[in-house]
Amino acid sequence: MGGYGDVKLLREDGKRLDGRAIDEMRPVTIEAGVLPAADGSAMVTHGLNVAVAAVYGPMEAHPRKIQRQDRAVIDVRYNMAPFSTGDRIRPGFNRRSREISKVTAESLESVVLVERYPRSKIRVEIEILAAEAGTRCAGITAASVALADAGIPMRDMIVGVASGKIEDTVVLDLDKAEDNYGQADLPVGILPNTGEIAFLQMDGDLSIDEYNLAMEYNHKAAKEIHEIMVDALKRRYEGGEA
Amino acid sequence: MVELVPSLLRQELDRLAAEGQRIDGRGQFEGREVHLEVDCLYNAEGSAKVVWGDTIIYAGVKFEIRTPWPDRPTQGSLMCGAELRPVAHRKYEPGPPSPESIELGRVVDRGIRESGCIDMDELCIVPGEKVWGVMIDIHVLSDGGNIFDAAGLAAIAALRTAVVPAERFDVGEDHTLKVNGTPIMASFKRAGGRFVYDPSEEEELGGDERIHITLGDEGHLHSLQKGLKGVFTPDEFAEILAVAEQKCSELREMVAEKEGN
Repeated sequence: MGGYGDVKLLREDGKRLDGRAIDEMRPVTIEAGVLPAADGSAMVTHGLNVAVAAVYGPMEAHPRKIQRQDRAVIDVRYNMAPFSTGDRIRPGFNRRSREISKVTAESLESVVLVERYPRSKIRVEIEILAAEAGTRCAGITAASVALADAGIPMRDMIVGVASGKIEDTVVLDLDKAEDNYGQADLPVGILPNTGEIAFLQMDGDLSIDEYNLAMEYNHKAAKEIHEIMVDALKRRYEGGEA
Repeated sequence: MVELVPSLLRQELDRLAAEGQRIDGRGQFEGREVHLEVDCLYNAEGSAKVVWGDTIIYAGVKFEIRTPWPDRPTQGSLMCGAELRPVAHRKYEPGPPSPESIELGRVVDRGIRESGCIDMDELCIVPGEKVWGVMIDIHVLSDGGNIFDAAGLAAIAALRTAVVPAERFDVGEDHTLKVNGTPIMASFKRAGGRFVYDPSEEEELGGDERIHITLGDEGHLHSLQKGLKGVFTPDEFAEILAVAEQKCSELREMVAEKEGN
């Protein structure tokens, strides 16, 4: 988290700079089946973020040393396009994208019925085309819809959402300025049907009460996003094309 | 799989060609449907999305301020790169840039650069000290065949709608990038023994050499590339060049139309 209190992030009327209430999320749109070459795919726009996920597989896992005798491995790559941020990003993996890829893969492994596909691999590619705070969450949401679109069995989908703290106030879904100048960020991946948490990160400073409130906001938002996810999948298959 | 399928596919393409057919029912020089969208990504200074049949490609333009080369103190620079990331097809693997992605980026780069549509002197801010570096990044999201033409179209459309972010770098006011021309690429692939325009994924898998032609507004050649194994005759080239002229004009009009909106 960046500076503390040196930038005004809340207006006189208690609203945020972009006019949102403190427990209001940015608009989310989801479309399933956007990439013809992939076995499953989805595009998520969350505020100004644009995340696209593609799923390939289950396929043969190689090199053989990555194979697991009793389950599939999920190979996630989270990547930001060079033009997705203010300053151009040099193409290629960096420490941040490696870490996000790792923890995203581990979250997805906890919902996909990986034991159905021993010795195989499921490839999940997350591409961020526009980044404005919250890309890992948009990526998790996109990956979940893409896995469902690929027909891969799951216990539940994962909804990526985040809350945080600005000017000592807990708010839902930080935008770029709030992320840069706020005091805490709590991105999570929630299983909407059970309320379980599959993905959890946090940085900044939160009291236990603030954590509980932030989580309450996250659970509320996850329900809203889940409806949009289900809706996207229904639209994909209602048209008759599968 | 990759060894067996092409030989079967090759036989099928030969059979179809003998009947004057293509595998997806198109005519020899008939292209697929193309959709172009510009200014579609928030953080890019210029952006375009091309949906060309089953191929989907984004291009984004970013600017940076750099020191000019000592022998060209008033000239900025242009660079176009492409990434064939594993998102685009199951055949693409993670790792350092493949020869294929480097070729793609460089062929698109040459077409734009050599058309002279960007005046490098226009990119000068302070001679000898500060010039703009313009970077076009091509991001292939779905490879359904003929990524070259789709990438070329996305790149020039993104460039033509780019805004120089001078305010962000504190060097004046934001202004549209001056682009004098719309170079367009047309690609041909030998499939079933003869050249076809706008090859599909199957034709790329079961065909031979490919030829990429970039034409400027005046119909001049700005970049040519022959890829993969195979040879062609001067007559064959004359035939596809005539087709390229027509296809490039059509696509150039599409870019102009989108800019107008």
